[in-house]
Amino acid sequence: MAHTNGGTIQPETSSALALRDVVKTYDMGTVQVQALRGVSLDIARNEYVSIMGPSGSGKSTLMHVIGCLDVPTSGTYTLEGQMVAEMSENQLAEIRNEQIGFVFQTFNLIPRVSIYQNVELPLVYAGVSRGERRRRTTAAIERVGLADRIKHKPNELSGGQRQRVAIARALVCNPSIILADEPTGNLDSKTGAEIMNILDGLHADGQTIILVTHEDYIAKHALRTVRLMDGMIESDLEAVVS
Amino acid sequence: MRLMRDMVDAFRIALYAMRANKARGTLTTLGIIIGIVAVILTMTAANGLQNTFRQSFSSVGADVIYVSRMPWVIQGDFFLYRNRPQIDLKQADELESRLRGRGIVNPTMDTARDVKYRSETLSGLRIIGTTDKQSMVSSAQPETGRFLTEFDVTYKKNVCVIGTDVRDGLFGSANPLNKSIHIGRARFRVIGVMEKQGGSFLGGPNFDRQIYIPITSYVKAYGGHRGRQGVDVAVKAPSREALEELEFEVMGEMRKIRKLRPAEDDNFSINKLDTLVGAFNNVMGVVLLVGLLVTSISLFVGGVGVMNIMFVSVTERTREIGIRKSIGAKPRSILFQFLFESASICLLGGVIGILVASILTAVINKVLMPASVSFPILFIAVVVSIAVGVVAGLVPAFRGSRLNPIEALRYE
Ligand SMILES: Nc1ncnc2c1ncn2[C@@H]1O[C@H](COP(=O)(O)OP(=O)(O)O)[C@@H](O)[C@H]1O
Ligand SMILES: [Mg+2]
Repeated sequence: MAHTNGGTIQPETSSALALRDVVKTYDMGTVQVQALRGVSLDIARNEYVSIMGPSGSGKSTLMHVIGCLDVPTSGTYTLEGQMVAEMSENQLAEIRNEQIGFVFQTFNLIPRVSIYQNVELPLVYAGVSRGERRRRTTAAIERVGLADRIKHKPNELSGGQRQRVAIARALVCNPSIILADEPTGNLDSKTGAEIMNILDGLHADGQTIILVTHEDYIAKHALRTVRLMDGMIESDLEAVVS
Repeated sequence: MRLMRDMVDAFRIALYAMRANKARGTLTTLGIIIGIVAVILTMTAANGLQNTFRQSFSSVGADVIYVSRMPWVIQGDFFLYRNRPQIDLKQADELESRLRGRGIVNPTMDTARDVKYRSETLSGLRIIGTTDKQSMVSSAQPETGRFLTEFDVTYKKNVCVIGTDVRDGLFGSANPLNKSIHIGRARFRVIGVMEKQGGSFLGGPNFDRQIYIPITSYVKAYGGHRGRQGVDVAVKAPSREALEELEFEVMGEMRKIRKLRPAEDDNFSINKLDTLVGAFNNVMGVVLLVGLLVTSISLFVGGVGVMNIMFVSVTERTREIGIRKSIGAKPRSILFQFLFESASICLLGGVIGILVASILTAVINKVLMPASVSFPILFIAVVVSIAVGVVAGLVPAFRGSRLNPIEALRYE
C-alpha cells in the first residue's frame, strides 16, 4: 500500500478534530431517535480512518457532525481548534467551504451544469478571483484524470467518473479533511478500486481522510478503523501495515 | 464589497439556472410582459399627449388673454352663455384705447370658406380676419414673404398670409407669393406663408390649415354677418408676470364697455392658455389613472405567477440547495441565487414587453399622434420589472435559503 508516513505530519500528532461525548438526537415528534449516544473520537492530521458499522448505527450522522452539516445535541466538537457548537450558520458554511470536502455515495453533482462549473462552485462561494478559480479548478480536475471531460454534463459521465468529479470538487478548496460517506457504494468493484486509488493518493500527499464503508476490503485502505454500533463506538483499531 | 461580490457570483449562478428553465420562465412572464407594455404605453401616451398639446398650442402665448363671448371650456349649463351679446369691433377699439398701451390688443373674426387656386380647391379652410398686431400676439411668424401690415388693414387690402398645409394643397412646390386665390367669392393675393405649427391636437384646430386676411377686408368680403358676427380680442401682456394684473384690468374695462351693473355677472369670458392646460390635465389624469390600473393589475397577476414558479423552482431544487450548502453556500448566497433568478425572469419579461411596446408605439405614432419610447421610460420599465421579480421572489427564496442542509440532501 502506497503510504509515506512522515514529512508532512507534525512531530507530535496534532489533532485535526476532537469529539467529546457527542450525542445526536432526532426529535420525530412522538419518538426521539438517538443516532449518536456519546461518541468521543480524536483524529489527527493526515490520518486515514475508516468508519464501519451496520446500517443505522450512526455512521452518516457522525460524518454530518464532523462535516459541520449538523451540530451535536450535546457534547463538544472541536475542529482545527475551533468550537463548532457555538458557531452561527454563516460560520458553519464557511467551515464547510474551507475545511471540509464531502464525497457522497450518490455523487451529488448539480445536474444541469458542466463538470467544470461543478468543481468551480466551492471556489465561487469562497470568493476566489476568476483567474485563480480557473487555475485551481483545472488542477483539481486534472488530479482526478478527467481533463478531457471538462465541458461535459454529469449525466454524460459514468458513475466512477462522476465520483471522481465529486472528489475534485471536494479537494478544490484545499480542505483539512475529506469526508467520504460510502463513496464506492454505488460503484462496481473495479471502479470502486479506482476511486480508492485516488483517495490513497490524496492521503499520500498529506490529506486527512475519513471514509465510511460496509466493505472490509475498502476499509483496509485506511490505517485505522472505527466501528460503530447503535450510536456508540464499539472498537477503534490501528490497522497493521502489511 | 463582500456583498457586492456575493451578488456578482449569485448572478453568475442564477444565469446557469435560467438557461436550464428557459421555456417555463418565458411562459410565466406573460403577466409581466403585459404589465410592462401597459407601463410604457401609459407613459408614452402621456408624453405624446403633452408634446402634441405643447406643439399645437405653441403659438397661443402664455402671456396672452383672449376676451370672447364664450369660454373655451364650457363648465355647467350651456344656456347660461347662450344669450350673451356679441363683442363687436367697436368694443375692441374701445378696449384698446382704455388700456392705453398696457397691453397689445388684436381683434379677430373667423369663418370657414372654400379656397381655390386654378383647378385646386381646398374646402372648409379657417379664414381669420386679423390685424398687423397678430404677429406680436402670437409667436408664429411668416416663413416666406411678409405678414399683414397696418397699411393693409387701414386700406382694406385683399392680401392674405397662408398656412403651410394651404400652400402645399394649392401650390404644391410652386412659389405661392403674389398668386391670386379665391377665398369664397373674393380674390386675395398671397403675400406670405406662415411657418409650420405642427398639426392638430386630437381633432382640435389645425393652425397650418388657415389663412390670415386683414380684418377690415374680412368685414368687407364676408360682411361679418351684417355686423352681427362677434370678434375675439387677444390682449398680450408685457410679460407673463403682468398677465394676472392685465386680466383684472381687462375684466374691469370690459364691464364698463358693456355697461354692466355691479350685481350683474360678466357677459363675456376671459380665456387663456391655462384654461386649456387645466382641461388638458383632466384628460391626462384619466389616461394616467387607467394606465396605472391596468399596469398594477397585470403586474400583480404576473408577480403572483412568478412567485408560484419560484416556489416550484425552490422545491424542485431542494437537493441542489442541500448540495450547495454542503460545499459552503451561505443562506445569503442561496437567497440571492433565487432572487436573481426571479429578477432575471421578470427582466426577460420586461425586455419582451419593451419590444412589444416599441412596436405598438410605432403604430400609434403612425395613426394617432407623435409618440416615441424615450430612454427614461425604458429605464423605469427595466427598474419596475426587476423590482417585481425581487418582490415576487422574496418569500420562495427566503424559504430555500433556510432549508436544513441534511434534510435538503435527503429530498427525493
Ligand atoms: N434526519 C433524520 N431524522 C430522523 N432520524 C434520522 C435522521 N438521520 C438519521 N436518523 C436516524 O438515525 C439513525 C442513524 O442513521 P445514520 O447515521 O444515517 O446511519 P448509517 O449511516 O450508519 O446507516 C438511524 O436510526 C436513522 O433512522
Ligand atoms: Mg449512512
